Parts: sequence; C-alpha cells; structure tokens
Amino acid sequence: MRLSTEQAQTIRQLAQEVAGGDTRVRLFGSRLDDNARGGDVDLMLEVDNPVPNPALMAARFAARVSRLFQGRRVDVLIAAPNLGRFAIHDIAHDEGHLL
Amino acid sequence: MTNHSKMLLRLQFLLRVIRKEGEHLALTDARLFSEPFTIARAERLATQPDLAERVEAFVSRFSRLQDTLGDKLLPVLLSALGEKPGAAIDNLDRAERLGYIQSVDDWLAMRNLRNQMVHEYVEDLAILSNALQSAHAFVPSLLASRQAMAAEAERRGWEATDPLDIRNPHIYANKK
Repeated sequence: MRLSTEQAQTIRQLAQEVAGGDTRVRLFGSRLDDNARGGDVDLMLEVDNPVPNPALMAARFAARVSRLFQGRRVDVLIAAPNLGRFAIHDIAHDEGHLL
Repeated sequence: MTNHSKMLLRLQFLLRVIRKEGEHLALTDARLFSEPFTIARAERLATQPDLAERVEAFVSRFSRLQDTLGDKLLPVLLSALGEKPGAAIDNLDRAERLGYIQSVDDWLAMRNLRNQMVHEYVEDLAILSNALQSAHAFVPSLLASRQAMAAEAERRGWEATDPLDIRNPHIYANKK
C-alpha cells in the first residue's frame, strides 16, 4: 500500500469529520499496487446510516484528501443504506484495504 | 509590444470571457433550478431530451467558468499583480488570501462535484441529483469569485473593454 501511516491516519480522521465518527474508509485501486507510481487516490467511505447529501459529502471529503496529496485527483465512493450498491462497491470492498 | 502589454491584453480578453460565461451560467442556473432537482427529475432525463440538454448546458457552463477563473484568469491576474504564479494549489491558496475565492476546500469540492454530474456516467440517481443540487448551491459563490477578480482588475485600471462595443468609440473606430 502506497500511503504512509500518517497519511492513512489523517484520511481516517478526515472521513470521520466529514461523514461521522463510525465511518470506515477503505483504500482501493492503483494506490494498493506497490509497483505503480503516483496515480489517483481511490477511497470508499462506508457509512451505516443514510447519507442525505452523498455527492456533496464525497466532494468535500475528496477535496480535503486532495490537499493532503498536493492537489492530486481523489475519487470517492460511498457505501450507505440509502445508496445503490454497484459492482464497483463490491470490488472496493473485496480488494480494498481498511485504513 | 512588451510582455507586460501582452499580458494585459490576455487579461482583458479573459475578463470578457468570464463576463459572458458568468451570464450564461446564471441564465441556465435560473432555468434548470426553477424547481428543485429531485431524484424524480433525474429519472426523467432518459425520456426528456430538452431536460438532458439543459443539464448538460449547466454542467459545462459551471465547469467552464470555474476552469477559466481558476486555471486561466487567476495565474494571469497574479502575474499582473507582480506575483510569481506557482502550482495550481498554491495559486488557489493565494486567491483565498486575496479574497477572490471563499475557500480552497469549497473550490476543490466544486471541482469534484463536476465528475458526479455527468448523467451518462453516474448510475445512482440519488448521487446525480444531489450533485446537481449542490452545484446549484455553489453558483453564487462561483459568481462572487468572478466578481471579485473582475473588481480587482477594475481597481487597477485593467477592466475588460469590449472590442466591438460602440460605447468604446476609440476601439470601434480602429476596428473600421
């Protein structure tokens, strides 16, 4: 996994600030590949309660993580009971790494 | 022509562009959000081409104004002010300090929202409708940034003159 312990911890804190204290955050995609370099940061927020403003929440979280990575592109997926669950959610869940 | 006067011409061109882009965004924004963009409306995108086109116009006008302001005008404006433009994220920090944008975090969030407003791509209509509604809520802030940058240029005497504006007889005469 190409994230430092500090980065992982900060991402977890940001997730809890933006999406609530019991939010879990999972890293998936190219950042899991130790041989790749740079690249987008793909994250999934797992929330147990319905999310009223999912697009805004994802955008705010992505913005704050992006600053942590000097403006690098961050893509955020949300798993929540009021949102659709698509194949990408299963991939992120199965292959992703819980931070 | 000196580099400085070329820069001012570029700045004036971009000021004219953001004036038009802002007007067009405000128009589509008012028309699209005359009623809230609900999930029910998002469902109608598949069968109502006019609604889909209006959404498309909103997304591209929102995106273009944000890109012109942040990626094109801001670096030129900073140069004209005698600052050395840096990486995009540093320029945004400076824009926040100078009061051109309300918050860098909001600015980056608006950018991220744009990816969630593409209706062919976003399958979850709860996300699509919330992305559109959230972008609508950011329109006043985007227009305020446009106003703040234009006002800065005006204060310094670099305002956008319209090359075809008949109220500008000197330039109009030169055009003929």
